[in-house]
Amino acid sequence: MNRALRSLAVIGVALVVFGPLGLIFYQSFLSEAFFSPTAHFSFEAYRYVLTDSGFHSAFGTSLLVSSGMTLISVPLGSVLAFLLARTDLPGKKWLEPWLLVPIFLSPVVLAFGYVVAVGPVGFFSLWAKALIGRVPWNLYSLFGLVLIAGLTHVPHAFLYVSSALRSLDPAVEEAARVAGAGVWRIAVTVSLPLVLPSILFSASLIFLLGFELFGLPLVLGDPAGLLVLTTYLYKLTNLLGVPSYHLMAVVALSIVALTFPLVYLQRRMLRTAGRFAVIGGKGQAFRPLPLGVLRWPAVFLLVLWLAVTVLLPLVGVTLRSLVSSWGEGIKLSEVLTLDHFRELMVYPNLVRGIVNTILIGAIGGALAVVFYAIVGLAAHRWQSRWVSFLDYLVMLPRALPGLIVGLAFLWVFLFFKPIAPLRTTLFSLWIAYTVVWLAYGLRLISASLLQVKPELEEAARVTGARQRLVYRDVTLPLIRFGIIGSWLLIFMMFVREYSTGVYLLGPGTEVIGSLIVSLWGTGALDLISALSVIEVGLVGFILFIALRLGVRLHA
Amino acid sequence: MKIKQAVVLALVLGFVCFQSSRAEAAESSGTAAQKEGKLIIYSSTDSASVEPLLQDFKSVYPFLQVEYNDLNTTEMYNRFVAESASGSGTADFMWSSAMDLQIQLASKGNALTYASPEISALPKWAVWQNQAYGTTFEPVSIAYNKRLLPADAVPQSHADMIRLPKEKPDLFKEKIATFDPEKSGVGFLMMTQDAKIFPQFWDLAKVLGSSGAKVYTSTGAMLEKVGSGEHYLAYNIIGSYVLLRQKKDPAMGLVLPKDYTLVFSRVAFISKTARNPNAAKLFLDYILSKRGQTVMSEKSLIYSLRSDVPGNITAAGLTKELGKALKPIDVNTDILAGLEQNKRLEFMKQWQAALKR
Repeated sequence: MNRALRSLAVIGVALVVFGPLGLIFYQSFLSEAFFSPTAHFSFEAYRYVLTDSGFHSAFGTSLLVSSGMTLISVPLGSVLAFLLARTDLPGKKWLEPWLLVPIFLSPVVLAFGYVVAVGPVGFFSLWAKALIGRVPWNLYSLFGLVLIAGLTHVPHAFLYVSSALRSLDPAVEEAARVAGAGVWRIAVTVSLPLVLPSILFSASLIFLLGFELFGLPLVLGDPAGLLVLTTYLYKLTNLLGVPSYHLMAVVALSIVALTFPLVYLQRRMLRTAGRFAVIGGKGQAFRPLPLGVLRWPAVFLLVLWLAVTVLLPLVGVTLRSLVSSWGEGIKLSEVLTLDHFRELMVYPNLVRGIVNTILIGAIGGALAVVFYAIVGLAAHRWQSRWVSFLDYLVMLPRALPGLIVGLAFLWVFLFFKPIAPLRTTLFSLWIAYTVVWLAYGLRLISASLLQVKPELEEAARVTGARQRLVYRDVTLPLIRFGIIGSWLLIFMMFVREYSTGVYLLGPGTEVIGSLIVSLWGTGALDLISALSVIEVGLVGFILFIALRLGVRLHA
Repeated sequence: MKIKQAVVLALVLGFVCFQSSRAEAAESSGTAAQKEGKLIIYSSTDSASVEPLLQDFKSVYPFLQVEYNDLNTTEMYNRFVAESASGSGTADFMWSSAMDLQIQLASKGNALTYASPEISALPKWAVWQNQAYGTTFEPVSIAYNKRLLPADAVPQSHADMIRLPKEKPDLFKEKIATFDPEKSGVGFLMMTQDAKIFPQFWDLAKVLGSSGAKVYTSTGAMLEKVGSGEHYLAYNIIGSYVLLRQKKDPAMGLVLPKDYTLVFSRVAFISKTARNPNAAKLFLDYILSKRGQTVMSEKSLIYSLRSDVPGNITAAGLTKELGKALKPIDVNTDILAGLEQNKRLEFMKQWQAALKR
């Protein structure tokens, strides 16, 4: 049973990953589109891209942006996770759902929110100008981009680290406390090191996401002339007149190549997984660690982050949805209106778009988590080369930039005839989303699995339970919070996702993301803002209901 | 007397026959389309502005189920070429503002040859080999912020675009927006046409550079920033979008340059491998018809092409205002010169150099 499950998992994952990736690899060695009858084998694409100075500088900028945002988001996310998961921080129940807003807001909208709030003629900038005579910040700069990218990716780190922290045995922290350690010291020397796997997973994922950023650099970097790899890729679709798939493939593969050192590093640092198993056989009641004097500084830190990362863009977007025009020389009271919401209500396909988005997020997300859980269990406690193979494998699709991954999936569904009929159904969209977020979901689940001490499973086995029963009655119930947490995360990822499925969407399968892109073309930013406000309200409402119904984000 | 009567009779008869044969032709593709029952459109015109057109079309042909895919121009192209190559069916009707990509597809044999009965009412430059049809007549304009740009600083011509920023460098510093020809196909097309028509185009490019103009990939972002005052004016914006914007923002101004105004046209063709070619023919005929063009102008606020449609947002209205200054971009293979790799890269290089001063 176990053996069958394991081979099935490896083969399944390899198929769904190598399908799109293989096509891109193949494409990179051709002279033009692989389906063109005149395409022939050529290194031309590599020669062009690798010697193009534009590529070099874009790669450098991307590297800078990625490292910068990882350095900001991972430490901050980890500390916030510790505060919310392990301490008696005041008001944490109310603050936590807000933390997730940056995850499900489309990056273009997020960036645009910043433009409205703190751009050269943004609401806050004009206030600052009225107060001190000039705008003391420049949104359109490398620094601005890195800072915003870093701050808005804090939730990714937060979710990983906090879900790991919640299943940590409180006894270890209790011991440290009894021995006289302060809260800060406990965090840095006990709790966070124990969830190192989660921290490292999130760090490498965020690093990859940095290379894949598109909306933020497009809106914030373009006016400053900053070219990152994805905007360089975007340029390649037009530079030669018609999209140059072979050149795009080479750029995409250059990002894919980055995953190897990344995963290697991660694996080296985690060589002994046993160190991190802390859900032991003996349960213990959890008591939050008292923050003491750090109480208010901690609240301040959290509120400050929320203000800059959530409030600022959200206020920008909300304001934009309520005014007919904005900027220099505008009196707010004269331009307030609800027209954009009214206009949106009659917008074709809006309702269907919203329903589809929720469907793909909730049901699609749940199904994806089931798939991740199966793969996760298959790899669980499996000492084999195949597991390291899986480790590398799952990271690969996430390294493909959105612009190209959508194309790759279109190609797969068009040219692999056995699955071609699926193309026009939501199922194709689900497969694409599930594959792209494979690393995300899987890491969340395997991180939870790592924390289950083998003794529990062995106890079940000793009493005669077969493997399937062990999983069903012991392992899975123990990681149920990890599973629910990852479902919520995947729900939000799927709600926001657009580019992966762009070529698979059609009438009847619209999602909010595609509506936003279509509105962006004509500059209906007022409608986009209204739509985003509705989206935030909707997802917020669902989160609220879920929490009310007893679905807990964590243990 | 008798001869005269006979002539009149013959003329009348001839006219009736002609009309009825025309009606028959429409009738027969109508019946065939009824059998098909469906029409798949890929288009870069957004669903909201196309809605009135689709509604009216459906009221004429209620038996057709229209599947309208609102995509951006690159997505449209990528999807069409891949779907065609895989043989698994693609759009029946392609309607895009990327004129060059559309002509390229048509010239590579992807378009069905079909002489629309409306051809006689269309300008010659708008039809390429009865395969690709220009459908609109949209002026390439300058959008500006009426609230912030003083009236005497509003450029009225391309020459003004060179003169004014030189005269008022402080006013225009970082306040001009335009397309990034490297990232936007439409932007590239407009600039190469500018370079063809306007001898001082490279001076203009240098002025854009020295005034610190910002380049964008989407009309939307540019108009939003002109509206807010982050920029004061945007150069080379398709007039129809400015009109849509004016409906909401009274401060948005529109200038059609007096020396010459480029005219841009959304290009349509019927796919050669269309599964519903007759339905596609009906739709092509409809958007080229007087009725369709009137809806386009009045409801969708897209400048219509036919000269017999009255109003301001029409070819007739523009001709009255600008006359010979209108320079339509022809719907033919000349446009493909811009897709030629070396020339294209050469242009980009020159543009880069001009922008950096």
